[in-house]
Amino acid sequence: MNSKARARLVHLLISKSIMEALVIGGVAVAFFFATTNPYFRGVLDAADKTSVTGWAVDESRPYTRVEVQLFIDDRFAATAAADQFRPDVHQAKRAEDDWHGFVFTTPRLAAGKHEARVYAVHSNSSGARKTLQLVGKPYRFSVE
Amino acid sequence: MNPTEATRLKESEPAATITDRSLAAWEIVSVVSSVLIAEWILSASAGRSKLVVAIPVTLAFVLIICSHVLRGETARELGLRLDNFLPALRLLLLPMIVISGIALLIGFLSGARLDFFRWHAERLIVFQLALGFGWGFLQQYVLQSFMNRRAQSVWGQGAVSVLVTALIFAVLHFPNPWLMVITFVGGVVWAFVYQRQPNLFALAFSHGVMTWVLVSALPPALLNHLRIGLKYFG
Repeated sequence: MNSKARARLVHLLISKSIMEALVIGGVAVAFFFATTNPYFRGVLDAADKTSVTGWAVDESRPYTRVEVQLFIDDRFAATAAADQFRPDVHQAKRAEDDWHGFVFTTPRLAAGKHEARVYAVHSNSSGARKTLQLVGKPYRFSVE
Repeated sequence: MNPTEATRLKESEPAATITDRSLAAWEIVSVVSSVLIAEWILSASAGRSKLVVAIPVTLAFVLIICSHVLRGETARELGLRLDNFLPALRLLLLPMIVISGIALLIGFLSGARLDFFRWHAERLIVFQLALGFGWGFLQQYVLQSFMNRRAQSVWGQGAVSVLVTALIFAVLHFPNPWLMVITFVGGVVWAFVYQRQPNLFALAFSHGVMTWVLVSALPPALLNHLRIGLKYFG
């Protein structure tokens, strides 16, 4: 192979690598937006042996109710819609209306320390994938 | 700048310092990476539309075809010929019979029902074989006319380039363990035969028939519907 052909092949190999890197980058960004909703906002306010409360809003669709799931000690406990009356969230300008709170009844737990996590459920446009995003921070509590 | 100086500068360009062997190795790595990107990244993250998977595959084919042109390889050299079809088939026949026998035996011992429609249940056997030939031809073209020839540029003709070609073929079927074993064995046979009688039509025939026989004879759970890459997991 002459040096001109070799140089062309090298350029082709480099160009191919650059194009593949761009495709992977593009797909990674698209995948992120398909599996993640960057507009979810919310807080897990409190958790105890009787209830787990907080609020969740999808800022990209402020009038829809976010589906939330409760996990206690990393185990699924319940699912609900964040559609409870929370005027304080509205007054704090974190939501467009008063109905973005959630209240879960805490399942029966053994005595000791526990951790509650609430996740907002995100579906991609085709509904083929559902992903969970943590709402606020995990909440640790004790049951006596 | 005098002509001697210009020549010296030209020779010091990166492309001039890369040997044919390193370039061939780079080409192998590049095409393997395209297939792995398609199998492991794009097919899993692309959602329902799989068109994006075609991008690295197309880029790989562009590279392969340009590489043939730039290296001045003829269709005959690549194995697109008919004159050595029968000699190539003769070399393939014995391994095909032996491997088919082993597959039938494994299927019999494991209690799997022999089902010649398992591969494509709704299609005629002739159509299944034609599909197998077409798909096999494409794979053998990439594997032999490109990988095997480039492996020979790096390691020369013989056992090492045969094993490297087979290993690449097996790795591309990761993480399906039994398919990796089968493709490694098949890869060794096909690469060996190609180095003696380069004929893609005979290899494609063998590839199609063997896939059909193995899928029909072996327990379906063993091959996991020939799934590879992230798709293997469901």
